[in-house]
Amino acid sequence: MKHAVIHLATERPRTVYAVVVLLTVILGALITRIQIDTDPENMLPVDQTDRVFHNLVEERFTYTDAIVIGVVNENHPNGIYNVDSLTALHSLSKSILALDGVIAPDLASLSEVDNIDQEGPGTIRFEWMMRDAPVTEQQAMDIRRKVEQLPLLKDSLVSGDGKAATIYVPIASKDLSYPLSLEIQALIRQLDSDDAYHITGLPVAEDTFGHDMFVQMGISAPLAGLMIFALMLYFFRSPQLVIAPMLVAMATVIISMGLLIGMGFTVHIMSSMIPIFLMPIAVVDSVHIMSEFADAYRPGADAKIVITRVVEHLFTPMLFTSLTSAVGFLSLMLTPIPPVQIFGAFVAFGILLAFVLTILLIPAYVIRMKPAALDKLSSRSSTPHTDTLLARTLRRSGRFAMRRGKLITGIAVLAMAVSVAGIYRIEINDNPVRWFKANHPIRVADDVLNEHFAGTYDAFVVLTYNEGDAIPAFSAAAMQLLNRVDEGYAAELRQLVAARPGDIGAWFGDMITAVDDALFDAEDSESIDALEQLLAMAEEAQVKSKYFQRPDILQQISEIQSALTDSGHVGKSNALPDVVKVVNRELRGGTPSDYRIPPTAAAVAQTLLQYQSSHRPHDLWHIVTPDFTSTAIWLQLKSGDNQDMSLAMDFLDDYLAENPLPAEVEMRWAGKTFINVVWQDVMVTGMLKSLMGAFVVVFFMMAFLFRNPRLGLLAMVPLSVTILGVYGIIGWIGKDYDMPIAVLSSLTLGLSVDFAIHFIERTRALLRDTGSFASATEQIFEEPARAIARNAIVIAIGFTPLFFAPLVPYITVGAFMAAIMALSGITTLILLPALMSWAGPWLFPEMRDSSARSLAPAQPAQA
Amino acid sequence: MIARFSIMLTALIFTTGAAAEVLTDADEVIARADLAAYYAGADGRSDVRMIISDSQGRQQRRQFTVLRRDLADAGDQQFLVVFSQPSDVRNTVFLVDKHMDRDDDRWLYLPGLDLVKRISAGDKRTSFVGAHYFYEDVSGRRPSDDTHEFVETNDDFYVLKHTPIDPLSVEFTSYVTWIDRETFLPMKIEYTNAAGDLYRRVEVSEVEDIDGHPTVTSSRVSDLLTGGKTDMQFRYIKYDVGLPETVFTERSLRNPPHDWLQRPER
Repeated sequence: MKHAVIHLATERPRTVYAVVVLLTVILGALITRIQIDTDPENMLPVDQTDRVFHNLVEERFTYTDAIVIGVVNENHPNGIYNVDSLTALHSLSKSILALDGVIAPDLASLSEVDNIDQEGPGTIRFEWMMRDAPVTEQQAMDIRRKVEQLPLLKDSLVSGDGKAATIYVPIASKDLSYPLSLEIQALIRQLDSDDAYHITGLPVAEDTFGHDMFVQMGISAPLAGLMIFALMLYFFRSPQLVIAPMLVAMATVIISMGLLIGMGFTVHIMSSMIPIFLMPIAVVDSVHIMSEFADAYRPGADAKIVITRVVEHLFTPMLFTSLTSAVGFLSLMLTPIPPVQIFGAFVAFGILLAFVLTILLIPAYVIRMKPAALDKLSSRSSTPHTDTLLARTLRRSGRFAMRRGKLITGIAVLAMAVSVAGIYRIEINDNPVRWFKANHPIRVADDVLNEHFAGTYDAFVVLTYNEGDAIPAFSAAAMQLLNRVDEGYAAELRQLVAARPGDIGAWFGDMITAVDDALFDAEDSESIDALEQLLAMAEEAQVKSKYFQRPDILQQISEIQSALTDSGHVGKSNALPDVVKVVNRELRGGTPSDYRIPPTAAAVAQTLLQYQSSHRPHDLWHIVTPDFTSTAIWLQLKSGDNQDMSLAMDFLDDYLAENPLPAEVEMRWAGKTFINVVWQDVMVTGMLKSLMGAFVVVFFMMAFLFRNPRLGLLAMVPLSVTILGVYGIIGWIGKDYDMPIAVLSSLTLGLSVDFAIHFIERTRALLRDTGSFASATEQIFEEPARAIARNAIVIAIGFTPLFFAPLVPYITVGAFMAAIMALSGITTLILLPALMSWAGPWLFPEMRDSSARSLAPAQPAQA
Repeated sequence: MIARFSIMLTALIFTTGAAAEVLTDADEVIARADLAAYYAGADGRSDVRMIISDSQGRQQRRQFTVLRRDLADAGDQQFLVVFSQPSDVRNTVFLVDKHMDRDDDRWLYLPGLDLVKRISAGDKRTSFVGAHYFYEDVSGRRPSDDTHEFVETNDDFYVLKHTPIDPLSVEFTSYVTWIDRETFLPMKIEYTNAAGDLYRRVEVSEVEDIDGHPTVTSSRVSDLLTGGKTDMQFRYIKYDVGLPETVFTERSLRNPPHDWLQRPER
C-alpha cells in the first residue's frame, strides 16, 4: 500500500496536484456557508435532561433573551433619581419600545412597570410607576419612595443604592441582538445625558463572542501560519523547501474546515481553534521528510529515487505519530459535549489528512523542482546545524542525563509528587463572561452592574406540583356521580371528564362550566342533586390543583428565599410570595406589618386577581403557570462563576434536607448559570474518561509499534509527566480549571507522544545499528534530538499568535501549548535518557540479546 | 321616563336600520354606537364568561354577573360585577359608578380578605382581572375622550378613526372602529401604538336580538403583541329588569343581591 501511494505521488504528480487543488477549492468554497454558534447551551447535547428541562422552563415561564442596558449616575447625590437621569431613561425606554424586534409587552423599565400604592385612606391605586418623566426633583424622589416599597423592582430595576437603573429589552430573536444593540447605542448617543450607559446581556455577549471568534480565525490563524513559515525559514533557510509544508498545512486546514462546515456543523469556540491546531501539526511531518531529503540528496542524484527512499523510511513512524495524535484528539469523542466532540473528530481527521497530503504532496512537489533548485537546496543544507546553540545544548544535556540518570529520575519523581499535590489544589470553575478580557466593554458592564445590583446572573429554582392520583381519583368519582344524571346532560359531561387534562386549568374550567350549565337546565331532582355534588367536588379539586396558591407552600417558598439570600450565595430572589405579600400589604392599607401572605388559598387567589388588574397582568406568568401547578424562584447572582452557582446549589440541597419540601413537590434547577455548571461537570468527568481512554489506547498502540510493552510504558512517560506537570502548575498557580484547560489534557497526550515515539524508535534503530548503548545514546542527541527540539519549538511558537486573540480561552490555550511543548520536549530529551541510563537492559531487548550486537551493520547514524 | 325613551330610541334604530339615511356626522355615529353598545334598556343583567388564553393557549376562566343601571342615556351609569367562578374568587365584587363629568368611583370587595376597598380610577386602561379587556372596554370609553373622523362608509359599516385628546393617558395613538350601519354596534376595533403597529383588536363574533335590543353575545380581544386573547361570552341577558338603586350601594359589596343575580328563566 505504501509503495502504491508513493508511486502515485512520484509518477503522477500533476494528478496529485489537480486532485488536492480541486478538493481544496470545492471544500474551501463551503467555508463561506459558515454558521457561528456561540450559545453556551450547545455545550450540552440537545436531548440532555437538564437542558431539556431548562428549555421547558423557558417556555413554561416565557423567558426570552434580553439585552440589558445599565445606567449609572455616580455624581448626583440622589443617584439616578433626578430629573435629568429619569427623563433620559424615560425617553430611551419609549424609543426602544418602537424598535422592531423588541418584545414590547415584556420590556422592563421604570417607565413601563406598574406601581401599586395608597391614595389616601382606604383607597388603593394602580398606576404606571413613571408614566411621564418627572419634572421636579420632588417627583423624582417620589419615584424612589415607590420603588423602594416594591421588592420586585428594588435591586432589579433600580439598584439598592439608587445609583443605577436597568432596562431589560427582551428580543424576538437572538439574531437581532447585534442590529438592535447598534440601534440602542445610537439612541443613547442622542440622549444628551451625562450618565454612564452600559449595554450587556447574554445575546449581546454571544454576538460579540461570535465576532471575536471570526477575528481569531481571520487574524490569529494566518498569523500562526506566518510565524511557522518564518520559523522554518530560520531552521532550513530555503523558501522553496518551506513552501511545500505550508501548502500541506493550508490544504489540510481548508479541507478540514470546509468538510466541517459542509457537513452542516456550526463553528463553536472549540472548532474555531481547529485551524490553529492543524497548522503546526500538519507542518511537522513535512519537516521530517524535507530535512531528511535535504540531507540525503546529492547534486546529480535522481530526486525520485531519493524521495522515494526517504518517504518509505519515514512512513511507519509518521503513520504512528499521526495515529497516536489522532487518537488523542479522537478521545475527545468520549466527552459528551458536542462542540468538544466535533473539535476532536475534525482535528483527528485533519491530522490523518495531513499525513496523507504529506506523503502525496511532498514527493510530488520535490520531483517537480528544477534540478538547479534541488542542487542549491542540498548545498545549503549540506552544512548541518551541528554547531548551533541548540545542538550544543542538546549534546550537553544528553550527556548529563545519561550520567545522572538516577538523580534526574529522583527529581522527576519528586516533581511528580509536587504536581499531584498541585492537582489536588485545582479549583474547577468557569464563567463564560470571563472568556472576555477584563477590559472588554461586556466585562466592564458586568462588573459595574453587579457592583450596584443584586446580580445579573440568572438561575431558577423550579417547583412543580405532582398531583399524583388526585386527578384519576376525581375522574372516577365524577363518573360515578354522572351515572345518576339524566343522560341528556351526562353524555357530554362524561366526554369532558374523560378528556386527558393537558391543561388542568382549562380542563376544570370546561367541566365546571358544563356542569353549571347543565345544572341550570336540569329538571329532575336526582340529576340536580348529583350535578350539585359534582360541581362542588370539581370546584374543590380545582382549588386543590392550584397548588401554588396555598398559603403554606407560599410561606415555605418565602422561607427558602430568605435562607438563600441570608446565605450570601444569592444576591436576591424574586418569586410568587413577593407579589402576594406586596398586594396584600397595599390592599390592607400599606403598613409594613401587612407584608405577609394572607391566610387562605382564596385570599391568595383574590390578591392575585388584583395584581392581574394591572397594565402587565402577564408578568405573573413569569413566576407561576396559569394553572398554579409550577412556580419559579428567580435568583439573581452577582457572579456567574460556576463555583458560586454550585455553592448556592449545595446550600439549597442542605437546606432542603433539613427543611424538606412536601413530597408532592419536585424541585429542579434551571437557568443559564445552572446550565453552565451542568456542562462543566460533564466536561470534567468526560475529560477524565477521554484521557483514560486515550491513555489506554495509546499505550497499546505503543506496545504494538515497539512490539514491546516495556517500551510502550516508556513512551507513555513524557506525556504522563507533562500532563501531571501542566495540571500541577495549574493547581499551584491557582488558575481555574475551565473549558480550555480541560481540553488541554487530550492535546498533550496527542502531541507529546510523538516526541517519545521518535526518540525511542531512533534510539532503538541506533542500538541495532551501532550495537552499542554508549554510541547510540551519543548519536541520539545529534540529528534525532534536534528534530524533536525543532518540532517542539515550531509547535510552541506556532501557537503564540493566540496571545493576541481577543478572547481569553484562546490565550490560555496559546500559553499552555507553549508550556506543554516545553515540558514534553524536556522530559523526552532528558528524562527518557535518564531512565534508559539505569533501566536500559530491562527496556531494550537489543541490550539483553548479545547476538544483536554482532548482527548490527555499521552504518552512519545520520542516514 | 329615561328608560322609556331609551327603549324607543334603540327600537327605532333597530327597526329602521339600513333604510335610514346615511349618517355623515362622525360624532353622531359614535354617539349612537355608544348608546347601542352600553345603554341598551334602562338597566340590564348578563352572565359573562371569560376565557383568557396566553400565547401558548393556556387558559384561565372567569365567570361573573353584571348588573347595570343607567341614570341617563349616554350619561352616568352604575355597574355591579359579582364573580362566581373560579370558586376561589367567588363573591368578589366590583361596584362602579360611571360618571360623565369626573372620574368614576370604583369599589372592590374581596371576601377572602373580608376587605372593602376603594380603587382609584386614575387609569382605566388596565387589565380587567387579568383579561385582555380593559376596565374601559367593560364600562365604555367616553366619546368625548377622542376626536372622531370617517375613514369610509361602506355597505355594512361606518368606519371611523378615533384620536385621543389626551394622548399621554392612553397606550394607543389611534384606533379604528367598524360600526354596523344597522345596529350601530361596533363590530371591530383596531388599535395602533406609538411604534405604528396594530397591536390590539376587539371583534364581535355573535349578535343576538334580546328583548328587542341587538346585543353582543360573543366577542374576542386579541393582544397582537403577545399572541394572547380573551373570549367573552354573554348569556342569560335581560333588559329592563327593574334594578333598584339600592342594589348599587356599598351594602351589596359584602352582601351581593342574590335575588337580582339569579339567572332569569327563559
